Amino acid sequence: MLLYRSDEWYNTLSQEQLQKLISQNKAWIERLSAEGRVKPGRALERTGAIVSGINGRFVTDGPFAESKEAIGGYLVLDVETIEEAIAIAQSSPGLAYGGSIEVRPVAAECPLDVRARELARNEQFANV
Amino acid sequence: MLLFRGNDWLKSLSSEEKQKVTDQWMAWFRRLTDESKAVAGNPLEREGKIVSGKNRVVSDGPFAESKEAIGGYFLLDVASLHDAVAIAQECPGLPYGVQVEVRPVAAECPVASELKREAEFATV
Repeated sequence: MLLYRSDEWYNTLSQEQLQKLISQNKAWIERLSAEGRVKPGRALERTGAIVSGINGRFVTDGPFAESKEAIGGYLVLDVETIEEAIAIAQSSPGLAYGGSIEVRPVAAECPLDVRARELARNEQFANV
Repeated sequence: MLLFRGNDWLKSLSSEEKQKVTDQWMAWFRRLTDESKAVAGNPLEREGKIVSGKNRVVSDGPFAESKEAIGGYFLLDVASLHDAVAIAQECPGLPYGVQVEVRPVAAECPVASELKREAEFATV
């Protein structure tokens, strides 16, 4: 999965540069879809909410558009290795203007499960 | 879309508690899928890479134990942000410090729509 980190780097671009980037991006996605290497991805609105606390009692406005941690959009890839995913991320037209892309393997099973099993195993060893 | 943030909360749990949260989380996702409110979702592996800048530099990341790191996501099919927030409030990880970011999926790229708005102003 590719997560686009958005700190609104595109605000510094001129209308022409933006238009060019948008067409490049479109062509890039179309090529990857034609090659069967990407599933439909979406952009995220720059608004939203953050839910936290027991029973989700805190609901605050977020995320913070200018933050380096904010996610601007995502693409789910259909590739075999992280190297392939990195190569695709590197071919993203937006990188030329700044911005960054987080490349994350989708877990075959929930990491919580894996960790719970590890702990259970450690406890078992401790009891031997 | 729900983005589950934070993966430093796990450390403080016993294996029993972890198992309990995992089971609750899976059951929650299954129920949302059965109700056609969730259309996709995945946990993400804890390691990954960051690709950035003109030179397309690859670095290690995200940072395994961070409040900001994204641990997984659900793609929902609901009518409003309000509905999505109500679902986020059911997240079994919340009592342990997980934060759920709720984000409307854009009909089109926000950069493109901004550009269109500017073009409209320009022609008025």
